[in-house]
Amino acid sequence: MKNVFIYPLSILVALAIFPACQKKLVESPQSILTPAFFSTPQGLQAGLDAAYAGNRMVWGPQDFFNLTVAGTDEFNSGNDGDNGLVKYNSGYTTSNTNVTNVWGYCYRYINTCNGLIDIAPTVAGLDTTTRKNILAEAKFLRANYYFILVQFWGDVTLNQHFQTTPTTSATRSPMGDVYKFIIQDLTDAIAALPPSPLQGGVLPGKATGAAARHLLARVYLTRAGSTAAQAGDYANAYNTAIGLINSSASLGLGLQQDFSKVFAEGNETNSEILWTVQHTSTLAYNGSPAQNSSGPDNLYNHLFVPQYESQPGMQRSTLYGRPYIRVVPTHWLTDTVFAERVNDQRYNKTFQTMWLCNYAGNIPVWPNPLPAGAPAGAVPGQKKFALGDTAIFMPGYNVTDAQIKASRYLLIPPRNYNIRLAPTVTKYFDTKRSDMNAPSIRPIIVYRLADTYLVAAEALFMDGRATDALPYINAIRERAAYPSGNKAAMDVTAGNLSLNFILDERSRELCGETIRWFDLVRTGQLVQRIVLHNTDGQKNIISPKHLLRPIPQTQIDGTITGNPYPQNPGW
Amino acid sequence: MKSLRYAGILCTLFFLPHLLYSQDPNANTVSVHGKITNSNGEPLSFVSVMIKGTGKGTSTNAEGVFELQAPRNSTISISATGYISKEIKVGAKEQYTFSATLLENKNELNQVIVIGYGTRKRSDVTGAVTSISEQALREVPVANLSDALKGQGAGIDIQKDAGNSKPGASPKILVRGTRSINASNDPLFVVDGIPYNGNINDLNPDDVVAVTVLKDASATAIYGSRGANGVVLVTTRRGRNGKPVITYGGYAGFVKNFGQFDLMDGPTFRDFKKWALINQTPGVYSGLNDPKFLTDGTFTPEEVQGINTNRSTDWQKLVFRTGIMTDHQIGVSGGTDITQYSLSGGYYRETGVYPGQRFERYSVRASVDQQLGKWVKVGISSLNTYSITNGEIASDVNNPMAQGYRANPLVSPYDSTGKLVNAYVPGTANQVWNPLANFLPGAAAETRKRLGTFTTAYLEASLAPGLKYRFNGGAELRSDTYGNFFAKNTSYNQGAQNTGSNRYSFSTNFTLENLLIYDKTFAQKHKINFTALYSLQESQTQTTRFDYNNVLADALQYFNPQYASNLQSSKNSSPKWDIISYMGRANYSFADKYLLTLTMRSDGSSRLAPGNKYHVFPSAAVAWNMIQEPFLASATAVSNLKLRASYGTVGNTAIDPYKTLGALSAATYNYGTVNTTGAYLTDVANPNLTWEYTSTLNIGVDFGFLQNRISGSVEVYQQKTHDLLLPQSLPATSGIQNANVTNIGKTENKGIELHLSTVNIQSSRSNGFSWTSDLNIFINRGKITQLANGVTQDINNNWFVGQPIGAIFDYKRVGIWQATPGDTALAQSLGLTTTGSGSVIGQIRVADVNGSKTIDPGDRVILGNSQPKFEGGITNRFSYKGFDFTVVAFGRYGGLLVSRMHQSGSFMNTYQSNYNNLNIHYWTPTNGENYYPKPNHAQTNPPNGSVLTYFDATYLKIRSLSLGYTLPQSLVKRTGAKTMRVYATAANPFILFSPYRNKYHGLDPEVSMQSGAGTGSSGNQAGINVDTPPTWSMIFGINVSL
Repeated sequence: MKNVFIYPLSILVALAIFPACQKKLVESPQSILTPAFFSTPQGLQAGLDAAYAGNRMVWGPQDFFNLTVAGTDEFNSGNDGDNGLVKYNSGYTTSNTNVTNVWGYCYRYINTCNGLIDIAPTVAGLDTTTRKNILAEAKFLRANYYFILVQFWGDVTLNQHFQTTPTTSATRSPMGDVYKFIIQDLTDAIAALPPSPLQGGVLPGKATGAAARHLLARVYLTRAGSTAAQAGDYANAYNTAIGLINSSASLGLGLQQDFSKVFAEGNETNSEILWTVQHTSTLAYNGSPAQNSSGPDNLYNHLFVPQYESQPGMQRSTLYGRPYIRVVPTHWLTDTVFAERVNDQRYNKTFQTMWLCNYAGNIPVWPNPLPAGAPAGAVPGQKKFALGDTAIFMPGYNVTDAQIKASRYLLIPPRNYNIRLAPTVTKYFDTKRSDMNAPSIRPIIVYRLADTYLVAAEALFMDGRATDALPYINAIRERAAYPSGNKAAMDVTAGNLSLNFILDERSRELCGETIRWFDLVRTGQLVQRIVLHNTDGQKNIISPKHLLRPIPQTQIDGTITGNPYPQNPGW
Repeated sequence: MKSLRYAGILCTLFFLPHLLYSQDPNANTVSVHGKITNSNGEPLSFVSVMIKGTGKGTSTNAEGVFELQAPRNSTISISATGYISKEIKVGAKEQYTFSATLLENKNELNQVIVIGYGTRKRSDVTGAVTSISEQALREVPVANLSDALKGQGAGIDIQKDAGNSKPGASPKILVRGTRSINASNDPLFVVDGIPYNGNINDLNPDDVVAVTVLKDASATAIYGSRGANGVVLVTTRRGRNGKPVITYGGYAGFVKNFGQFDLMDGPTFRDFKKWALINQTPGVYSGLNDPKFLTDGTFTPEEVQGINTNRSTDWQKLVFRTGIMTDHQIGVSGGTDITQYSLSGGYYRETGVYPGQRFERYSVRASVDQQLGKWVKVGISSLNTYSITNGEIASDVNNPMAQGYRANPLVSPYDSTGKLVNAYVPGTANQVWNPLANFLPGAAAETRKRLGTFTTAYLEASLAPGLKYRFNGGAELRSDTYGNFFAKNTSYNQGAQNTGSNRYSFSTNFTLENLLIYDKTFAQKHKINFTALYSLQESQTQTTRFDYNNVLADALQYFNPQYASNLQSSKNSSPKWDIISYMGRANYSFADKYLLTLTMRSDGSSRLAPGNKYHVFPSAAVAWNMIQEPFLASATAVSNLKLRASYGTVGNTAIDPYKTLGALSAATYNYGTVNTTGAYLTDVANPNLTWEYTSTLNIGVDFGFLQNRISGSVEVYQQKTHDLLLPQSLPATSGIQNANVTNIGKTENKGIELHLSTVNIQSSRSNGFSWTSDLNIFINRGKITQLANGVTQDINNNWFVGQPIGAIFDYKRVGIWQATPGDTALAQSLGLTTTGSGSVIGQIRVADVNGSKTIDPGDRVILGNSQPKFEGGITNRFSYKGFDFTVVAFGRYGGLLVSRMHQSGSFMNTYQSNYNNLNIHYWTPTNGENYYPKPNHAQTNPPNGSVLTYFDATYLKIRSLSLGYTLPQSLVKRTGAKTMRVYATAANPFILFSPYRNKYHGLDPEVSMQSGAGTGSSGNQAGINVDTPPTWSMIFGINVSL
């Protein structure tokens, strides 16, 4: 080959490549969505769905549960429960992951809401109704997230707008400003949201006026108990709550006749339910991809479950659940608050006290000689019971050691409740999961009308109107008598009413419903009640340190520009 | 073997006149006949065989054979480029026949080594490069190339990724420490001139004949941004002139676990659990002998039975088995003056130390070089691999091995009838599934099949005297098909629904390059070489993934998801990036004494923000061959002395595509029966993202003494990186979930590298005893010198000005709080709880560093970092007669490793007693233990447990012991072969001086700096996962050429 061919050849090769090239440096991704998508009608819709999905990170996992259920007068730590946070000992530090996670989730999804609220007004191609709904729903969700923050941490960073640039600085706004912002959001939301979850084809889990009104009532009531209290907070609280109660019939809402129906499996859209965090049996949309009780999964079905499975005649089952044993009730809760069990039917409708034998492999046999008082038919060497018979029973009253020995099944009086085995809250039980270890597919009831009644009662009482509070508290108490209790006997008088009574009543009605810690802080009763009733925390709790959650260490460590991020007192 | 070819030509030209002389018969001569081979027994051609002091001689032919008439009692000198010369005495006999083995000389000046876009005589090299010869690569038969480089060069740090030893795992390579900590610090692999993006495991190490590592800015500048982390140039075998040579190499051997983790046996665990209960509920138990323990449900019935029968199950032993390694390579190469070819095929298979793990590789390689007329040469080389990896989910706590570590030693894996218990292991809080269940037929299937072709082609044309045009084209196509299936009753699913997953990935990488090379010598002294390049690289991948569960029949495995439920698709991606480059390089040398290299490269990267895409990276290097100076001519002891200096800037664009654009992430939700997939902002756009720049100053000395019997080099360098590309996690209040990739701060790396080759003993007899050594030591010190906005520490990201990236920041361990009044009072005064389950007595005690009278976050300090004080490798080769023995050792001194085994994530050291624990000497109220805390059933992990995970990473490892024997010609001839060598190699037989291993229950301290398993959010700490445990192996092999 001659030289002369080479030059054109190489030039040809070069020319073939050059022109195509400059375009190659422009990125046009196809497998990711870039922020620009957010500013389209579809993008806003997707953003709103994500803002809702964020609630699964709050209600469902252990974090928020540990912060609200355990470490209260209602629950001690269970065998596998937290050893620091809920016991208020020195193992509870600013690095606590429950605290850190909830803080992070709230800000993450607040930013999503901020995006929706900032962008929705200007997006082209959005019809008025959709735009109005997106704004109202986003405001409800944003208020909800901020309400969590302000209750746990007091003064918090108040991001009012969409943050799309990285920032390493942050400041805390006074609690009062945060409350004001929440109230404004809820006021806006109430005006625009569909009024009822049960009317107008509103999808389950969607924000509604009813939910927003309930939340607003609670916000007023909580602010009234805080240092940011404003004149008229109590009045606003009960006016808002009573407004909702009075309009509930017209909204298709109302208390369930039977307390047990409120939390009945499959009945999560009943008339008492104001707002739920959704889950589904379509597992691909239910939470974590592997459905392994991580991330956005609903674990409430696991968290109360005790170690029944290691008892004679028992094994783990989908019916009885997976023993996470995170909490066990305090003796005060089971023995004092729920002491009345004749007219008030809620004890038996809240707690499981009996387990039926589901494993023939290790049924115990009668010893020889038989214990004194052994039941008729007991034969030494023969099995004490059969499959399907009672294997564990907690009668709720004291029995003697001899009676325990003579019992066919494991008989556990209150004095023998321990951190492995005690009465179990059944409100979140889920028997229709795919597997005995799988997380729940049930929606979580977050706000319900019974609480609206109790909020109204508390606000009236705190405002010095005990008599006016009576109808609301008695409505709840009378319902608790259904079906066989004496309704009239449940009624209380103004003389009975006290802050303590109201808090006790809240326990009877709402125990385990991820709200207690807020109730105790709001009413200023946290320390007293821990000292009285919580054997884990009574020696350790310190005021005012433990009245607020610590600012997570990662927040303080991460605020590297501007002023240092202030920590809460005592931490 | 390009170098040999060049060397051969040079030798021939040089000695041509003498060859003529030697034809002249002489009455007083003896006839000498011989054969010269290298240490692998391969014949060496063009070896000069000279009669000392006469200037007369000959050279060997293609079979390595020579014949010569030499005066009586003369000395014959044998020398070849790249080898250590040898002298042999002859006496007065008429005939001498001998065969001699030449040992390789690593620092031989005339050796031609591959550099970026060309080759260069070693004496002409101006930058910092390390070249590794075929011989060194062959010394230790290995499964992958990066293993072969271990301990071979200064500044090349090769460590196991997270301590992982599973078959098919590839180690991490760091050239001169860590610079940025983003997507990758991996060096660029260039195979036969074309960037290689595939898995290093898909390169058959037997196909590789030379490796050059480019380290300083001047050497790597020609690769621009892609060379920012160093460049590894890999040359594969090509044909050479001569009759076809057929080679076969094969080995077989076994691989075994390198010891077992020290876990508790039955009785130890029994007491441990009792203590955990005592500490959970103080006051409930009277002591270890409290009979309540055996009746109150603390122990399951199976455990009680185990206690009563004194059972102690060694679960590790049940899981471990011996793996098998086999390797076969067959090749043929040859050629004529105008056509050279080389073909080879290989098969490698390794099974792991526990069932289900396997790596298999089939490779086929072909290369042809063809001269077209006088001016044009074309060539093509194609590397094709098909590999199968089984059982690679090993880092998961659900893998059977990790389950085996945690399984309760008091219980048996079998029931009373001898049947395997396919359920949770009793006494493990229903968290540990019988690990042996995974090995039941049909229980688990996990296969990755990778098919890769890597084809490079060139056309080289001489345009004018000294002027060449070259076109390089490279195409790399890979497909990767992965599927897994785990039945219901496996450690993976633990009784939940069976699960399956399918993942597909297809990637293409194209490289097109146009080069102009001008090479000319003026007035004999001025040598000029100019290289100009235009190149385009494009990489594109498409990855699709489906996960599902509830497969109708286990037998379907992952082959038909139609019969499964809950199909989900996530982690799909299709990244694409391009780099367009313009480059020029000029070399000038004057009288071979003064050398100058100037390089300029302009890169345009698609990954950076518009406006910042292009950048120019210049570099310059000078060298002074002092040995050429007259004033050194009389210093006969000095055989080489060269000074080098270089300075240059390279850029790094090692971020993932689309990082400038920001991204939304998906979130699924439902409203009743209406299911939705939402999206929210998780990655903010960074429109200002720009190049990270590293400027490197490198000063080096190459030296050789006593005819290069002592030779080596010393390099000193300083690298300064600015606009460091780092992912920065933001405080939660930012609302931004994912770390934000941004240009932030500056880092600095300084280092010294020493390389020394010595010929310690060189026998004057033909195959007498000889001993050579190669030693390299390198020291690297890296630190962050600046962070954005004047910030001096960013704790969440583990960045501290003045510290290396990946500093370990934590509380300072003092010991254990003892059950003494003094300790109790002190603990209380610090606000610590001393009663109940949360009592700190018996727990880890950390220091109140800031004197605040409380233990608060202000007490955290920098405890150290994973940077070793120094690292090095030494290779000793001994040979005698046909035997050769090679010992390769490498080690590191100093630095901290983070042992995940001791950390919460492994569940092996929780002190909770829910499952088995490392056999540590835990604290009890009476034993005064001051290192390991008390067990406590109330807590999932001991408070401040992270301080138990930092260990001195020092170790010295014997990487291999290899004994070979080259069969004598007389014997080999009868078999019909030309050469034959048999060998036995033990890989990783010993670890010495490792406190982690010897004192703290660890197995292997070898781990990569950047494995990300550390505690920091940004990784970059030497973190050892609980993964496939370290292994050692023994193989027996043979190499034959026909």
